[in-house]
Amino acid sequence: MPPKPRKPPPRGGSGNRNLLIAAAAAAVVVIGLVAASLLLRGDDSEETSPTTTGQATTLLDGIPQERAILGSPDATVTLIQFEDLQCPVCKRFQEEAFPGIVEEYVQPGRVKLRFVGMAFLGPDSEKALLHVIAAGEQGKLWHLADALYANQGDENSGWVTDELLERLAGELGLDYEKLSTDADGPGALQQANSMAAEAQQREIPGTPWFYVQVGDAEPYEVRPGSFDIEEFRTILDDALSS
Amino acid sequence: MSDRTLRAAAAVVALAGVGVAGYLTYVHYQPEALICTGGGGCETVQDSSYAELAGIPVALLGLVALLTLLGLLAWDSELARTLAAALALVALGFAAYLVILQAFVIDAWCVWCLVNDVLIVPLLALLTVWRARTHTSG
Repeated sequence: MPPKPRKPPPRGGSGNRNLLIAAAAAAVVVIGLVAASLLLRGDDSEETSPTTTGQATTLLDGIPQERAILGSPDATVTLIQFEDLQCPVCKRFQEEAFPGIVEEYVQPGRVKLRFVGMAFLGPDSEKALLHVIAAGEQGKLWHLADALYANQGDENSGWVTDELLERLAGELGLDYEKLSTDADGPGALQQANSMAAEAQQREIPGTPWFYVQVGDAEPYEVRPGSFDIEEFRTILDDALSS
Repeated sequence: MSDRTLRAAAAVVALAGVGVAGYLTYVHYQPEALICTGGGGCETVQDSSYAELAGIPVALLGLVALLTLLGLLAWDSELARTLAAALALVALGFAAYLVILQAFVIDAWCVWCLVNDVLIVPLLALLTVWRARTHTSG
């Protein structure tokens, strides 16, 4: 008796129809997702107030500044901040944690901050850093850094223009001619190189990155879990109590 | 390639995607875990307004989609195979849109996002073959 032939697999029919329906539904969902993404996207922080100086600028007024140091020279605790002025995460730190740190610890003279600029993201980082260092010669390094964060553009889009720097210098009361000359001079480059060497020596993997120094002791690395001021309170209070 | 191997391969690719999407979701809610490093535009992409859709992180949507795919792989019915292929097709379409955004709108590349976008290509291929086999094997 010959073997009973196997029933051939079904071709076409409901299986193919289901597949076509699924593909059509997938296409509709993709179109819906793209439309939703365009219409219901999140807040674009870069679209907010691109022409003003930073929110912390007024907080900085009246606080002693000596080049990269912000705060009373008598403060025994130093928070060392490794930053790249093009880094969006540094900008977020500047907006979220920095004002509270200044208000609670720097203004009362309990803690001082030391800026260590890095310029590893590209040419705009370097130009911004040299001008910020040059602003330090006029006692306003921290003011210009804050203003640049407030006006931060897309990475290496050429956003650090002479026009931007001149406008910010005017708003901050900086002598732009001197700022520009100092930024192009050997002094600013030397300081930038010194900052880069410190970052390299400490093997800083990215920005922002933080160290704390108590008195003249060797600085130690700290890693805040968030930019909530509470995280920095814990770090700085520990340092102050040691 | 046997049906079992096909499912296993799709599951491995989906699991890799779950790992990456999980990391991207984590850094979305814990942005301090993300630092700016040389040559990386992840922070720019994650910081852009396109990283969220109606308040929901896009990375979380990807994570949910990949977990659903894993569930469909485990379910293994004709309907599950059809849904899995359709979901992968949706993912590929949306991933293409996200790549276009990075290239022309955000003007920055997030390597982790790209890894997830690229993973969807073999995933769709595997799931399409898996679905087609259902049909031809009766």
